[in-house]
Amino acid sequence: MNNVLNRMRWQYFTLRNPYLFSLLLLVLAMLVNLFFQPDLLSRGSLNSNMRVFLPLVLVTAGQAVVILGGGIDISVGSIVSIVNAILATQLGSNASPEKIALMLGAVLLVGMAAGAINGFFISYLRLQPIITTYATSFLYAGVALFILPSPGGAVPNGISSFYRETTPLGLPLTLYVIPLILIAWYLLRQTRYGGYLYAVGGKADAAYETAVPVNAVQFSTYVISGLMAAFGGIAITLLTGSGSATIGADITLTSITAVVIGGTALRGGVGGVAGAVLGAITLGLFKNIISFANVNLWWQTFVNAAIIVVALAAPGAINLLRRTIGSRTRQHPTTGQERQA
Amino acid sequence: MKHLKILMVLAMVATLVAACAPAATPTAAPTTAPTTAPAQPTTPPAVAPTTAAAQPTTPPAATGKKFTIGISNSFISSEYRTQMIQELKDVNAEYMAAGITNDLVIESADTDVPGQIQQLQNLMNKGVDAILVNPGDISGLNATLEEAVSKGIIVISVDQALNAQGVYDVGIDQYLWAKTSAEWLAQKLNGTGNIVEIEGVPGHPANVLRMSAVDDVLKNYPNIKVLGKQTGNWDEATGQQVMSNFLSAFPNLDGYWTQDGMAIGAMQAVLAANPAKFPVGVGEGRCQFLQLWNQRLQQDPNYETIAVANPPGVSPTGLRIAVNMLEGKKVDTTKLGGPSGTQFVIPIPVIVTKDNFQQVFTTDCANKPASYLLDGIMTDAEVQQFFLK
Repeated sequence: MNNVLNRMRWQYFTLRNPYLFSLLLLVLAMLVNLFFQPDLLSRGSLNSNMRVFLPLVLVTAGQAVVILGGGIDISVGSIVSIVNAILATQLGSNASPEKIALMLGAVLLVGMAAGAINGFFISYLRLQPIITTYATSFLYAGVALFILPSPGGAVPNGISSFYRETTPLGLPLTLYVIPLILIAWYLLRQTRYGGYLYAVGGKADAAYETAVPVNAVQFSTYVISGLMAAFGGIAITLLTGSGSATIGADITLTSITAVVIGGTALRGGVGGVAGAVLGAITLGLFKNIISFANVNLWWQTFVNAAIIVVALAAPGAINLLRRTIGSRTRQHPTTGQERQA
Repeated sequence: MKHLKILMVLAMVATLVAACAPAATPTAAPTTAPTTAPAQPTTPPAVAPTTAAAQPTTPPAATGKKFTIGISNSFISSEYRTQMIQELKDVNAEYMAAGITNDLVIESADTDVPGQIQQLQNLMNKGVDAILVNPGDISGLNATLEEAVSKGIIVISVDQALNAQGVYDVGIDQYLWAKTSAEWLAQKLNGTGNIVEIEGVPGHPANVLRMSAVDDVLKNYPNIKVLGKQTGNWDEATGQQVMSNFLSAFPNLDGYWTQDGMAIGAMQAVLAANPAKFPVGVGEGRCQFLQLWNQRLQQDPNYETIAVANPPGVSPTGLRIAVNMLEGKKVDTTKLGGPSGTQFVIPIPVIVTKDNFQQVFTTDCANKPASYLLDGIMTDAEVQQFFLK
């Protein structure tokens, strides 16, 4: 009986705090990284790492919202590329501050529009999210290639070095953005919309019957994802200072991996943005570990992937262990609900 | 009991993460100038004994500090890059034996631009003296590379010219590379005929340079008509498919121009279709292609094609240049060329035509895997031409 209570407490706890495991993982990764790279937390290293991680963090935050709502967005990488292509071609190295502000606003709208197209197909035309966004990913990649046929272009040096080098109060600029995301998410979570999001992701039919505007909520998740992808595109443009129409291609799958490592279930309704953000940083730290641990060249890809697989499997493994231990109760195989034997 | 099992799982995770630990210890060594290293003055590699005597003793060399060179590579799934990495290790082994350099610090994985920026930052963090980068993007790494230059690190971009302040490039002239085979094709067709073109990744700088060379050559041959132009994305299978489509659309094709691995695919497509009129095509400097060439020669002893080497050896040549720069030699800027005037232009080492086919096929490709790319690495003595005496 004690076991059952224990387990219920554990499940309740992990359900309430989906980011817990990802936090644990992040701390673990950071400790291992620190062991190999003692100056990881120095201002220079922290800044150079965080400015590289931020684009993924931003995209992942949006991806997490979509996945929470029961969908998936394969087109985020292409939206990043469009934004990058627009900025690199439209700004050039001598843009005025007004033009910069105007273009930044414009690309955010472009990102939201791209997300709205996804959302329209999925929530109103009822198409499969994975197929729809896979298809639009090529559409958007094509647009990016049309805008910027060959790599190049530029953004003003000032804003690029502002992003790369500013460290207010000794902390990287990028480190201020992450709390902003978390606060925004915390506030959103408190609203009625936040509740709807989990309801739609958990069980859309049931949510519909309880008068949740399912379509609108689903639609909105893609707009949010498009917006966050646009922010990610801005960050990547400032990081590289130039444009390439394929720059976002690799971000898509990495963002989904980060979301899952962050404790959000791909089936939707379980998890949160906080864990996803931690997951994105953790993935970046994994790469550092591989680098500083001097893993043999031809094993680098394998070891990196193996760590990710273990990280993905770990929560499942822990839960499996907990289930096998409780021999006196049986569990429903999928819902995890328990009943007395 | 439960806690024990959880601990076990955590321990398993930890061991896996830490599995790489034993290899880690040497990392610290290169950055903290090994005082235990033999105090001998830096000696040049055995291959260039003559230039060595006149070599000025530079501050770093005087302390007996060995140089550490970092490699950043963002793409591993090609024979070119595999051969490049192996040759870099081989050439560095020479300098290591001479007590000049430490083990290479190699960052190599399929990665995107932010990933390669992270690679470069990690190399800087490890305190390397020089970085050889095969960039995955033509301008996205510039800010990071310039940061490395500002830290006093010698940065050389191999196989791709960049436009970053203080960054040198080492590579062949891609324009000339393509012009050579395009000119050959045009002359072989006697300036008349219908051809098709299969190009590499559209927008990639090397492809842009190559295609502009082809266009420029064909301008001089108004009777050569380009019936079609498609991309094979530098992929052998895609090249084969595109060529098959071309052959069924234009059965009387006179010739075709293509580049790199796609040439093997295109040749296989032509061999498979075996058209009544075998088109004149352009090949590539890889042993696998020479095998196909040889196969065709069995059927048609008069068959002709051309293979211009795109040598991975430019990277180890770049390594030699980096070592010489680290030793304090001054670059003779009048010898540099390329788009931004900071390129060490490496001559194309091998051009295979019917005249030297047998010789190359039986010597250069003997005992080599089919994937071997015809190559050439400059010796330490040869790279001295780029430095002031």
